[in-house]
Amino acid sequence: MLSFALTVLLDGISYGMVLFIISVGLTVTMGLMRVINLAHGSFAMIGGYVAGYLTQQGTDFFLALFLAAVAAGLLGALCEVTVIRPLYRKGELAQVLLTIGIVFVVTALITEIFGAFPYRVEFPVYLTQPVDIGFRTYPAYRLFLILVGGIIALVLWFLIEGSLYGAKLRAAVDNSRMARAVGMNVNLLFTATFIVGTALAGLGGAIGAGILSLEPSYALKYVVLFLVVVIVGGEGSFKGSFVAAMALGIIDTIGKYFVAAAAPYLLYAAVFALLLWRPQGILPPKSLA
Amino acid sequence: MRKWLSGVCALGLVATTGTADAETFKIGLIASYTGAFATWGTQFQNAIEAFQSVHGKSVKGPKGETIDVQLVYRDAASAGADKAKQLAEELVLREKVSMLAGFELSPHAMSVADISKQAKVPIVVMNAATASITRGSPYYVRTSLTIPQWSQAIGKWAAENGIKKVYTITSDYAPGHDAETYFHKSFKAAGGEIVGADRTALRETNFAVYMEKALQAKPDAVYMFQPGGSPSISFVKAFSERGLKQAGIKLLGNGEFAELYLPHFSDDVIGTISVNHYTETNSRPENKQMRDQLTKLFGEKGVTDIASVAAWDGMTLIYGALRQNGASADGLKYIDAMKGKTIASPRGPIMIDPEERDIIQNIYIRRIEKVGGKLQNVDIATIPMVKDPWKIDNPAKSN
Repeated sequence: MLSFALTVLLDGISYGMVLFIISVGLTVTMGLMRVINLAHGSFAMIGGYVAGYLTQQGTDFFLALFLAAVAAGLLGALCEVTVIRPLYRKGELAQVLLTIGIVFVVTALITEIFGAFPYRVEFPVYLTQPVDIGFRTYPAYRLFLILVGGIIALVLWFLIEGSLYGAKLRAAVDNSRMARAVGMNVNLLFTATFIVGTALAGLGGAIGAGILSLEPSYALKYVVLFLVVVIVGGEGSFKGSFVAAMALGIIDTIGKYFVAAAAPYLLYAAVFALLLWRPQGILPPKSLA
Repeated sequence: MRKWLSGVCALGLVATTGTADAETFKIGLIASYTGAFATWGTQFQNAIEAFQSVHGKSVKGPKGETIDVQLVYRDAASAGADKAKQLAEELVLREKVSMLAGFELSPHAMSVADISKQAKVPIVVMNAATASITRGSPYYVRTSLTIPQWSQAIGKWAAENGIKKVYTITSDYAPGHDAETYFHKSFKAAGGEIVGADRTALRETNFAVYMEKALQAKPDAVYMFQPGGSPSISFVKAFSERGLKQAGIKLLGNGEFAELYLPHFSDDVIGTISVNHYTETNSRPENKQMRDQLTKLFGEKGVTDIASVAAWDGMTLIYGALRQNGASADGLKYIDAMKGKTIASPRGPIMIDPEERDIIQNIYIRRIEKVGGKLQNVDIATIPMVKDPWKIDNPAKSN
């Protein structure tokens, strides 16, 4: 029984980690500038395709992951400066329309370059095998996801709670007008955060390709999941998105185990219940709480 | 303005000296060229063009007259059934086609039943696999398959080949339900035991939980039915990752493992057993002729699949019916000419059931192996001339 519970937990957490890595950037930028960025999934997809292309050419897996994050980050920077920045004051409808347009453009480009078939990231052989973890054998890949997700969460934790950058970020999310008034360059802060966020999405798209499989419709197919993590966690809340990603991963897993027929609905029912309970998200930043 | 697609078969570009009495027979092909099912339209059209480049763009009618066979292609755009119906109306009324063909999706094929009856237009269904379709109108003929033909065959084969316990994981949509029902039925009838059954969301790619449940149930094999592409690729990945393959559990599948999809799988897929009515690499001369012609015309994109073979055989049937009846016969005359017809198809022998106008064909059990560095399906068993099991279970009401 205990081993069964642990298995469910590991399955749920590893799935949640992928959602967390991809979504954390979105939550911070949405909290910071209130820009609704539906194109976030595109950066994850681009990261995945870059890693897929490189590993298929024989590039080292970890180098490919790094380059996937760099590529997504660079495109994120380009996108922020040219497309997102003019949208700050344009209202939500314009933001939704433009960012969904980016999704369609990226989807068409990916189809043109890589074709409509699913695309493969070549993982190292040791990640494709099950390993013995004492009470059972378990996929090495999922343990790897938990490890990487855990490290990223810890690093972000120290960055946001312990560094000057983090202090500025929290201040700007909580009250961006006051932050501007005391002389902080919130725009620069936002650009930097946007780049880090898209780079993380690219990394998440690459290492998560074994669960959220790569195909041209990726950006549209999974963006709902990413937005759910952001909304349930609380816009702008780093801790909230972590808790929300874990919760959704575990709820989805438990649902598939026990009520397989209702699993697709269970996740959304859970989101509904969570939002009724905490409309601002599980752990909203002070500005919203 | 004329749609450019209809210009593909531009007749009249060829000099027609001495064929002043040539008649024209128009066929409207409805399939998706854009959207999620975009490969189907191209696969149908490529095979039809290959067929016409081998067998000519015209046939001789019963009185020795020349009949030019002209195809008019329309994009159903992976949209709803109303789109297919609207295209059919346009083709019949405006383009004056005498026959309709194509239809990769069952709702599309079903939506034109009334049109076929009112306009007396035969319909050659080249994929849509819901068993009941051909009952919808006396003008339907099918050259593809029905899902129960597959799933019943592999269920019986599994039980007779040392597989005693099976866990089934099927996609939660109509073809998935058909597959589950007929696999369970034939496997149990042959003495097998179903130790678990799950249905997954249509575009699921996270199969970890289902694999865990299957692993715990300790089956001899897992039977899957998933849409081709990312769901089935993720499925095989999870199957191997979770240790089912290492535990000696076999994987049984269907059309997910067509040659078209194989390059997108990793080597984990080796050893998978699947059922199909067309093994692309079979060495029949008819198959070689079709494949060579497609490669000649389309190069690397000329990969054949079940769409190619259904379109190719559909054209064989149509040409035969035209030879017998000429270009302006009553619709049912063409259907009568197709009933009971046997063809040496690239897939093997086939026959059009004289009662049901549905296909009767060999079903092949294949294993994926690495042949010359490439993943390939290798036939390991043949079940001869299978009639659609659903029709046997649901006899037509006499009316």
